[in-house]
Amino acid sequence: MIRSVARPLSRTWQSAHLLRHRRMWIIMSGIVGATLLVWFLNDFQNVPLITLGDAVFWTTYRLIVAYSIALVLGVTIALLVGWSPFADFFFPFFDILQNLPSFALIPIFIYVFGYTNQMIILFAVTSIIWPILFAVLTAIKSAHRDLSDAATIFGARGIERVFYYLAPLSFPAILTGSIVGIAIGWESVIGAEIIAHIAGFGSFISEASTSGVTEASVAGTIAILVIVFVINRLIWAPLLADSAKRYAE
Amino acid sequence: MPNNMPHSEPMALVLSRVTAHFDDESAHEAPAIKEVSFSVPAGGFVSIIGPSGAGKSTLMRVILGLMPHASGTVVRNFSRPAMVFQNYALFPWLSALDNVAFGLRMAGMPKKERERIAREKLREVGLLHVERHYPAALSGGQRQRVGLARALAVSPDILIMDEPFSNLDTITAEALKADLLRIWRSYGMTILMVNHLIPDAIELSDQIIVMGAHPGRVEKIFAVDLVRPRNTRGTPFFKEVDELTEAIRKIS
Repeated sequence: MIRSVARPLSRTWQSAHLLRHRRMWIIMSGIVGATLLVWFLNDFQNVPLITLGDAVFWTTYRLIVAYSIALVLGVTIALLVGWSPFADFFFPFFDILQNLPSFALIPIFIYVFGYTNQMIILFAVTSIIWPILFAVLTAIKSAHRDLSDAATIFGARGIERVFYYLAPLSFPAILTGSIVGIAIGWESVIGAEIIAHIAGFGSFISEASTSGVTEASVAGTIAILVIVFVINRLIWAPLLADSAKRYAE
Repeated sequence: MPNNMPHSEPMALVLSRVTAHFDDESAHEAPAIKEVSFSVPAGGFVSIIGPSGAGKSTLMRVILGLMPHASGTVVRNFSRPAMVFQNYALFPWLSALDNVAFGLRMAGMPKKERERIAREKLREVGLLHVERHYPAALSGGQRQRVGLARALAVSPDILIMDEPFSNLDTITAEALKADLLRIWRSYGMTILMVNHLIPDAIELSDQIIVMGAHPGRVEKIFAVDLVRPRNTRGTPFFKEVDELTEAIRKIS
């Protein structure tokens, strides 16, 4: 007895189905966005938007600079250590360093650099660098031996091994290390701004809280969430999708 | 010499009492391979068969200089080795074309020239239509063919193959074997292949080295005297298979 007959779905139906979902997402986002906007305009009239914009700009700027430095340093150190025969020697050394609580180091940074932009950026570098460095080192150490042998047999030796084998091999690790690093970086930059009381989102919410302007803190948090969302959608999501496509087994 | 090949032939590779340990093994433990001696004639097709733990892959790595050996001598009369891996070992970040061109790129060949050669090699293994595909988008058989094309692209004088058919289905493996024999004849290179299938070894090889395990050692060396192209359905072929199977049974 035939209980059911499965028929292939037509391409038109499939694309219409997807489109319907896409339209639904756009409509839903529009409704939520419009509600938030009305609420935002009514409840956040007292929030100094220029000051908030300025604070968010400085925090984001510091994070981007700190991330760029950490990325270059972390990847370079990891590739050079992974390339050398001393990787096993350096691993525990890095492990101890990354376990130091970064906020315990902030007095040293203030002592050396004062209450400056450089202090916050370099302090953030010390916390962003570790996830990147460890992700890359682990990727190199755990790579399949055949892949390493293939690179050697086909001539990837010396510095060419770094550029044509180790660096591309580490790309997914750089990506995941960066995502974790940036997340830690937000905390470090904002935390350092609160402690050092230097213009930025950290000091903005700190001042808003102490002066009882809760809307300002909430508005700032929304602004940061929007930036995080945009960075994720525009940078990390496409890179992760590309990485998953290329590096899949 | 334990080899029963005529010594007047030029040798591509000679191993004399080679002992090697695994990378993570101390010198006091049993070696991965012990006192291994054999030679591979230039232009010959030699297979190595043996059980798991016979140190076949370790032996390949020692031959290619990828790991040190503890004692003995390895004489390498080749300058351009290439290898085909059991697990393909294609670079996942490179397209099929760029994987094939990898060795040429490392040799400093200009892009246009290396891509021309890579396309030629892909055509030779019947995969020109997938030149822009990444390894993840290729089937096991296609990946192994790209691996073979990558090896051929560097014009090797010795091709080392580590169980190249073990991850492939029967139909794909048969097609690849036919291609391999055609390529071997046209290139005239030396092939040293690790294998664990006796019929495959007899079909392809001039000489078969049988290894024992724990520690890996050469138990016996057989010369295969069947005329080429070999009829794998004829009585002489099955006789050779039976003889080798019986010999291996006695050894194990």
